[in-house]
Amino acid sequence: MTKRIDRRAIVRALIVFVVAALAVFAVSTIGSTAMADTPDAATAVAQTSAIHADAETTEAEVTVDDTAADAPGTNRIAQNVFNGLVFGLLLALASVGLSLIYGTTGLSNFAHGEQVSLGAMLAYFFATQQPVSLPLLPWEFVIGWPLWLAAIAAIVVAGGTGWLQDRFLWSKLRKRGVKMVQQMIVSIGLSLALLNLLQWWIGPDRLRVSIAIEERRQVGPIQLGDTTAVSIAISIAVLLAVAYFLLRTRLGRATRAVSDNPALAAASGIKVDAIIRLVWIMAASLAALGGILMALYDSGTKFDVGAKLLLLMFAAVTLGGLGQPFGALVGSLVIGVVVETSTLWLGPDLKYATALAILILVLLVRPQGILGRAERVG
Amino acid sequence: MATAEPILIADDIIAGYLPGVDILNGCSMEVAEGELIGIIGPNGAGKSTFLKALFGLVPIREGTVTLGGQDITNKRADELVRMGVGFVPQTNNVFPSLTIRENLEMGAFQASKGFQKQFDKIMDLFPDLASRHHQRAGSLSGGERQMVAMARALMMDPSVLLLDEPSAGLSPVRQDETFVRTREINKTGVTVIMVEQNARRCLQICDRGYVLDQGTSAYTATGQELLKDPKVIELYLGTLGA
Ligand SMILES: Nc1ncnc2c1ncn2[C@@H]1O[C@H](COP(=O)(O)OP(=O)(O)O)[C@@H](O)[C@H]1O
Ligand SMILES: [Mg+2]
Repeated sequence: MTKRIDRRAIVRALIVFVVAALAVFAVSTIGSTAMADTPDAATAVAQTSAIHADAETTEAEVTVDDTAADAPGTNRIAQNVFNGLVFGLLLALASVGLSLIYGTTGLSNFAHGEQVSLGAMLAYFFATQQPVSLPLLPWEFVIGWPLWLAAIAAIVVAGGTGWLQDRFLWSKLRKRGVKMVQQMIVSIGLSLALLNLLQWWIGPDRLRVSIAIEERRQVGPIQLGDTTAVSIAISIAVLLAVAYFLLRTRLGRATRAVSDNPALAAASGIKVDAIIRLVWIMAASLAALGGILMALYDSGTKFDVGAKLLLLMFAAVTLGGLGQPFGALVGSLVIGVVVETSTLWLGPDLKYATALAILILVLLVRPQGILGRAERVG
Repeated sequence: MATAEPILIADDIIAGYLPGVDILNGCSMEVAEGELIGIIGPNGAGKSTFLKALFGLVPIREGTVTLGGQDITNKRADELVRMGVGFVPQTNNVFPSLTIRENLEMGAFQASKGFQKQFDKIMDLFPDLASRHHQRAGSLSGGERQMVAMARALMMDPSVLLLDEPSAGLSPVRQDETFVRTREINKTGVTVIMVEQNARRCLQICDRGYVLDQGTSAYTATGQELLKDPKVIELYLGTLGA
């Protein structure tokens, strides 16, 4: 049902994207001449640490990735654009729930990053061969499920936390008429509490959900590993399923109706609270899946991955158009590609700055975001 | 008409948005089956609040509402929809990012089975909308939106329809169309309670009018009587004559 996604909006999105990319290119070429004395080192680091936020982990992987990056026939720009698209897809998975929650309830959920971390931590908990334990319980045990089973279990448990949160926290606050800013502050508190809880439970170390080392194959100008290929397939399939749900199912259309106008949805006989409960479960599950796939793609994860991702998720959702269900997808792809390609010229430490620059640029051109619509009044 | 069984009775309603602030202080209304009721009154009198209170969107603190003998005070909106009450709010009464067809689908959310048949039936009432049912409601003009809003509320075949200023913001021709259509819908057996700014036009077509002032239903009479009432003329109609 591309009719409704409005081709013009997509064309506009592409134009904005090209403009943004050119701007980044311009800025970064200026920047790269400035650090011309160490170009090789800079690009090598940029290449490998594209999506790894912390410096200590990138060091560990430089050895693995360096050989890959230097393999003959690999085009750096193509590889980075490709990495960006992959990262964008995973970011979209993680942030689509953020957008759905914002759309249906108006809440900017700062604890969404922890939902992403939780997914990755749970997958580690179920899959690892190391002994694990539950908070406050004295005994240790090994679960060691196969990855697919661990991932499913993690997503189910994470979805349960979405249900739990809405059942015992957010629905109560809504019923009491607590204002959005107050709710947002609660979510910031929840974010910090969950972050500490995860660290206390799982520890501060970098963890590997899967210990298998990814074989990379040369596909045209890029290198592609099996796990990455599977991750791409899964994220595309899931995002299509979400789109199908929103556009083609009655419940999905009701979700969009609640996003549009909750009071009218109630007046139409839609059980708004039930829809919002469903959105929370979906959002938490999708965030968990995003966290798991990202842990595989990055070949490692940590209790605070989500917290580091939160800004990029907000940027993606805002860029795409706040509350627009497909905005999160478009915004994520733009952010992913821009962030990854910018590391060709700029240091990886600047990737948040690049994301922010793109966000501001796009908002100046299109204040309502790429897919956002300025509704006519009256 | 007035001799028919009352279908909806509101008895001394006290209601408001914020704790301790009553917007309605003692609103009463008795509506017979098949009647077309017009509610007029100055801005801020609480007309919209009254409709919202009937529909369970504003908490009622005292008083009762009964529908067909059943107590519906403070019932949830989705339950009222199931019981045959339809409501068209004054503003924001469509889903802008949904198509016309999807808007109507949401109107029939609780009875999705016979959707297509019902959709065709309602579209016969609004031929202007039928040909463009894939258009987003957000791109429609004010008058068209009003039509979508009314069509949405009719999807569940309500026995009582609450309309909040359906003619507001429309051109005179469109306003007339709205009144005629409201009368037609009423003739099919739907009891209609309509709030209107256009007091004269409203009183001309309705069976009975209520005057609401400062949160109280001041008085009621047939539309024709109210049109001739010197006090109503002075306060709400402005001038004598047509
Ligand atoms: N959502 C709201 N929250 C608080 N007060 C409101 C709200 N809506 C309306 N009011 C107040 O209720 C009173 C009656 O408003 P309303 O019912 O809309 O009047 P009318 O429809 O007759 O013009 C006004 O004083 C208005 O300020
Ligand atoms: Mg009003």
